Amino acid sequence: MRRLLIFLLLAAALMTGCTPRPGGRIVYGLTLAPTGIDPHINASAELGIPLTSVYDTLVYQDPKTGEFVPGLAQKWEVSEDGRVYTFYLRRGVKFHDGTPFNAEAVRFNLDRITSPDLASQKARFMLGPYERTEVVDEYTVRIVLKEPFAPLLDSLSQVYLAMASPTAVQKWGQEYQMHQVGTGPFIFAEYVPGGHLRLRRNPDYAWGPSVYQHKTARLEEVEFRFFTDPATRSPALESGEADVMGEVPPQDAVRLKDDPRFRIEAVAIPGSSLMFFMNTTRPPLDDLAVRQAILYGTDRQAILSAVFKDTSPVACGPLAAVTLSYDPSVCQYYPYDPARARALLEERGWKDSDGDGIRDKDGQPLTLDLYLMGWGYLPTIAELLIAQWTELGIRVNAQTVRYPEALQIGREGRHHLMPFQSSGSDPDVLRQFFHSQGSMNWSKVNDPEMDGWLMEGMRTSDRQQRSAFYSQVQRRVMEQALVLPIRDYVNLNGVSQRVQGLRFDVRGWFPWLIDVTLAQ
Amino acid sequence: MFGYGLRRLLEAVLVLWLAATLAFVAMQLTPGDPAETLLAASGASPEEIARRRAQLGLNDPIPVQYVRYLADLARGDLGTSWLQGRSVGRMILERLSGTVELALAAGLVGIALGVGLGLLAALYRDTWVDTLAMAVAAVGLSTPVFWSGLLLILLFSLHLRWLPSSGWGDARHLVLPALTLGFSLSGPIARLVRTQVVEILRMPFILAAQGRGVPLWRIFLIHILRPAAGPVIALIGLQFGFLLGGAVVTESVFAREGLGRLTVQAILWRDLPVVRGIALVGALAYLLTSLLADLCHAWLDPRLHQSEER
Repeated sequence: MRRLLIFLLLAAALMTGCTPRPGGRIVYGLTLAPTGIDPHINASAELGIPLTSVYDTLVYQDPKTGEFVPGLAQKWEVSEDGRVYTFYLRRGVKFHDGTPFNAEAVRFNLDRITSPDLASQKARFMLGPYERTEVVDEYTVRIVLKEPFAPLLDSLSQVYLAMASPTAVQKWGQEYQMHQVGTGPFIFAEYVPGGHLRLRRNPDYAWGPSVYQHKTARLEEVEFRFFTDPATRSPALESGEADVMGEVPPQDAVRLKDDPRFRIEAVAIPGSSLMFFMNTTRPPLDDLAVRQAILYGTDRQAILSAVFKDTSPVACGPLAAVTLSYDPSVCQYYPYDPARARALLEERGWKDSDGDGIRDKDGQPLTLDLYLMGWGYLPTIAELLIAQWTELGIRVNAQTVRYPEALQIGREGRHHLMPFQSSGSDPDVLRQFFHSQGSMNWSKVNDPEMDGWLMEGMRTSDRQQRSAFYSQVQRRVMEQALVLPIRDYVNLNGVSQRVQGLRFDVRGWFPWLIDVTLAQ
Repeated sequence: MFGYGLRRLLEAVLVLWLAATLAFVAMQLTPGDPAETLLAASGASPEEIARRRAQLGLNDPIPVQYVRYLADLARGDLGTSWLQGRSVGRMILERLSGTVELALAAGLVGIALGVGLGLLAALYRDTWVDTLAMAVAAVGLSTPVFWSGLLLILLFSLHLRWLPSSGWGDARHLVLPALTLGFSLSGPIARLVRTQVVEILRMPFILAAQGRGVPLWRIFLIHILRPAAGPVIALIGLQFGFLLGGAVVTESVFAREGLGRLTVQAILWRDLPVVRGIALVGALAYLLTSLLADLCHAWLDPRLHQSEER
């Protein structure tokens, strides 16, 4: 009888919550329904938001210092020539399905990612000049490259190159992405495409990197739901349907900031800035002075205030300010100076000779073809740009196109101006845009010197030396006025005050859910 | 009967081939290179993109691609999604339930609303009830779903806050999309029901039945509704294609997961196997429902039996 009484009392105590314990559940709002969510196959940033907590990576990057710290690899060595990386793996790590993690598993994963049959859309290319993986012994593995590739550790610290259970991959085949198994602090519980994705706490997790504050996750469950329509995001937060919401529209963020129930966590995303590439091979933009006139004649601050309510900073150059190797000296170029823009155009013979408000030269009006995509407030930005440029006497033909068509236009060089933005924590992100052979060389630049800096930056492992190369690239891009940078990307996360300890990795997109707790 | 079956089958094969060919041609005409779309932003070099293009078979002459595609289809192989690396058949099956659920719910709403409006209009012919009912039907007929959908969201989600505006899950998420799509379906149904019932009411057998003292409800069910139902069902069968197409748009408006969203995504990413697969499944669904509707029609309307027997 007494035993029963004690039991009841204990049960009551537990139920009333006077014993502090981990637990609880949050709903995390994602902003686009990913096309596919296998990190080895697919490329979206969205998939990494949930899956960063399902998987572990060989190394992690400390957001404070930018240094790489041990993850599934306890330590590593890089050969003198930068081609061979030897990783010494942590012991006693188990995948969620009980499969032991070892060197064989690492090789299995890298073989999978680099297999042409998998048709990886991102992970494969993050490995650069990858050659092969060798198992040295059960807990030592060697990655061999064809040539040095400095971004390798950065790549290996991302979910796209995370370690998946070989047993599960073999068991599920094509359907693996619906049944993912990692070693991370949360277990992939259920995914209903377009509906929700649910993660459950992994109670056995004990091998987290030093950047995690807790040994195991505090939350019992995290449910991800999709809020593709921006207008539905802040209502979902305010109605309590979601506890965290990514990419809240700026005007809603301003309002939520003043609401004591919520806070806005604005996370600057490293990578390229949002920039309009100027086609240097197509007249009149083949003239440096005309490109410079566009830069001087654009009031970017006004655009950011109008469209983004000053929630993101004006971009000075091709790299976002929070990116490794960003060179702040690019901010000295092109302050807003419409008088100077006009003077430059006059100097080059662009005058309004027929009085129609549009400048002309040799009977040709100063007309620019601007192609843009429908995302990221680009249509609104374009409207403001057109208004500003019309003031300068430039006529703009703007057209919105879909991404595949934009790629084709960019490749064929049919545009004068076209925007793009790309996330990434390594400055090597510049190579695809400004190397003469880059896949998105929309400025149509062909500068052997810059090609050389970009290749040296990719091969050099010493950070300072790398940064020197990238400084040169950034300054050259602005001196040559290859792009019109607009803004650094900032992800405005709306967060309920009951959610504590939300932090993001270096990429800015991916939350470390292990440390999230609920306020009582 | 055998000849009829054979003709139906040949028609079906022709429709499927046309749908497959149209999907193929349409995607050929759409600008943008699939391999580039998949890889350009991931830091892949132009050589790597070219390699992927070859791997996807996009470098082959277009007639070769077309024949290979038809040969795969003939074997029942819809292929693998270039975007997700999963079987297209499986992806379509997974989403089909969402679209069928919406199409069925919208079909019910459309039939209930359409038949109700049509009956009202017919029974109160040439009164203000008739005018009003037919006006509502005309609005339903002529309002595009993306517009009526937004209006319903404004009213029920943002203003009254009764129902969720978007998403997918329980029955509450189904109400607004089903109303939107059902409303636009109700227009043609209401018009047809009105014409049919008005016509039947003029028939001598109605007067005869009344004269024999057959109870009103019986006249209504047996003598009016049953013969009127036949053409209406045939119409619904024909409207099913519209229903599927409308479901695609409706799903986009309400951010519902289903074939519609899969289609949009596949077109945006130039995921050709998925686009083609959906076109084919749509054609197949259309064929099946029109066959079903024809059979129902024949079974329900005694006049058709007679003409066949003669």
